[in-house]
Amino acid sequence: MKKIIALVMALLMIVGCVAVFSACGKKDEGTIKIGLSGPLTGSAALYGNAVKNAAALAIKEINEKGGLKNGVKLELLTYDDKADGANVEAGYLSMLENGMQLSLGCVTSGAALEFKKLSKNDNLFFLTPSATADKVPEFDNGYQMCFADSNQGGEAAKFVNSLNLTEIGILYRSDDAYSMGIYEQFKANLNSSITTKDAAFTGENPTDMSAQITLLQNCKFIFCPIYYTPASTFMTQAKDIIAADAVYYGCDGFDGIESAEGFNISVIPQKVTMLSHFDSKATTGVAGDFVKSYTAAYGKDTLNQFGASAYDCVYALVGALNAAIDAGKEVSSETTASDMCKLLQEQFNGGYKFTGVTGTDVTWQKNGYVSKTAKYIVIKEANAQ
Amino acid sequence: MNFIVAIVNGLSLGGTYAMIAIGYTMVYGIAKMLNFAHGDVIMVGGYAMYITLLLMDLPIVAILFAVLFCMILGICIERFAYRPLRGASPLAVLITAIGVSYLLQSLSQIIFGSAPKMLMKLQISGFVAMGELRIAYSTILTLALTVVVMVALTLFVKYSRTGRAMIAVSEDRDAARLMGVNTNAIIAVTFAIGSALAAVAGYCMLMKSPSLANTLGAMPGIKAFTAAVIGGIGSIPGAMLGGILLGIIESVSLGIPAIAPFTDAIEFSILIVILLVKPAGLLGKARREKV
Repeated sequence: MKKIIALVMALLMIVGCVAVFSACGKKDEGTIKIGLSGPLTGSAALYGNAVKNAAALAIKEINEKGGLKNGVKLELLTYDDKADGANVEAGYLSMLENGMQLSLGCVTSGAALEFKKLSKNDNLFFLTPSATADKVPEFDNGYQMCFADSNQGGEAAKFVNSLNLTEIGILYRSDDAYSMGIYEQFKANLNSSITTKDAAFTGENPTDMSAQITLLQNCKFIFCPIYYTPASTFMTQAKDIIAADAVYYGCDGFDGIESAEGFNISVIPQKVTMLSHFDSKATTGVAGDFVKSYTAAYGKDTLNQFGASAYDCVYALVGALNAAIDAGKEVSSETTASDMCKLLQEQFNGGYKFTGVTGTDVTWQKNGYVSKTAKYIVIKEANAQ
Repeated sequence: MNFIVAIVNGLSLGGTYAMIAIGYTMVYGIAKMLNFAHGDVIMVGGYAMYITLLLMDLPIVAILFAVLFCMILGICIERFAYRPLRGASPLAVLITAIGVSYLLQSLSQIIFGSAPKMLMKLQISGFVAMGELRIAYSTILTLALTVVVMVALTLFVKYSRTGRAMIAVSEDRDAARLMGVNTNAIIAVTFAIGSALAAVAGYCMLMKSPSLANTLGAMPGIKAFTAAVIGGIGSIPGAMLGGILLGIIESVSLGIPAIAPFTDAIEFSILIVILLVKPAGLLGKARREKV
């Protein structure tokens, strides 16, 4: 009896081995897998979902047109990190297990700082659409499609310098990498003739902003390098105390504020503006086409620069991969993450130029920062008195 | 000038902290446990207001409903989570309290989602202007509510039968029971009062800034707990003093740009200093532990 069982076991093993080898031997018409870690729920969910939707849209379009030049198609892997660095590792590992070969990194800065360390170990290439912290592309496998905070802070300061103001207010979050990064660079690049009133807060959902409002109550121009959730809280609490002709000026964190859940921007009397690389009201050109196809697929609520940037990321990666194919490189679902990284680095460091929704003739510096021009976007005009 | 406003804002913020701190301190004094779920009762009260406002346009009804709902919630938490553990080790009770806190936060996130809700109907946004001084109506209203609540509570504890029974239970639970006090009922009443105050504190927060998320009570809860310890946990006047003190420190510190980023650190450092200098807190009674 024992012998029979042993025989059966042995047979099963042989069958198992053959099955494994035959699976390996078969030429797999697989896809190239692009990973994405972002907040699909939580207070920054608007960003994560915009990125996910737009990346999926770009991949769908590319696959419908036949994929890469050599016919290989793409697939998106996503993980909900709730914008918290502590969640990134679990998601990163699970995406790697599922075959991630290159990545859009993380959507938010705090999480991306975790992601860059993990991806460095595996030499996995990432091009983030929206993690703006300066340190995100610190290692040579990371690149940004968005402005780095220092560039964002610098560009914002350049704009404010041109306005002939003597005093401005600044509202920033002192325990957040994103806000502090922009804040410091903004202050460093601001004309010394402009005095500032700086109001700080902590936490992603502050409730009482009375102290900050008291500090900023006489300011006519308030720079807010913060996310839309605390910004909407501040604006709501301050709407009657801050002068009705004051202007709020934010960076990419303001994007989507007009469609934040439960927030009605029309009750805010002040003018709300921001620095961006994408105009969601565009009707012509590549940007106009993107707005049209995005709203057709997902509606207007999550249409913002995060999505636009993610859409560009996918097309930029595809462009670079196609250029690598032209140069005679092997690109397939079998290419390892590290090989993929090498051939993409050659492109991004070798004068690769990309034109998309968020900029024309976009290039990348050796340190991973993007070079393109910033736009001044008015989200909402001041209410008529 | 801004300094005066900062003090007034601080008094109002401190009043909110004091109302929450009273909940911590009463429960500690009478049930000898730290109810870490107390901060989250504020948040549940907020959602109770949110639901009422969806049904009808009457903020006052919403507030009353929230107070009632929180009282029932407090009694239920005590009945089902803490009473079975009466006599268990303090550590087990503490862990249970933290568990209840997470349960409430997670349930709210599952039911209402994590994006903040804006309760514009609760907001009171105008202000009184005296020259450069601008003090929001909500600040004044919070101050008034705090005073009313504190006077009422002090009178209740001092002069009503239930109040005196509460003092008796906090002094010596076994002796009080032998004297015929229904200790379980008194502990339930304590939880109900604490939770009702939490709901009022929640309203004070929401009328200033109507942004409601499932983490609404987390930070104020910790600050209020700190206030209760600074004032001397177990002492109601101590909680009031600690709350107001902490509120003023927070408001003044946030108003000075150079030290604003360190506000939380300053507040919690004060806790450490006070515990080092006066371990029982400002108004706490030093009690010798029986071994």
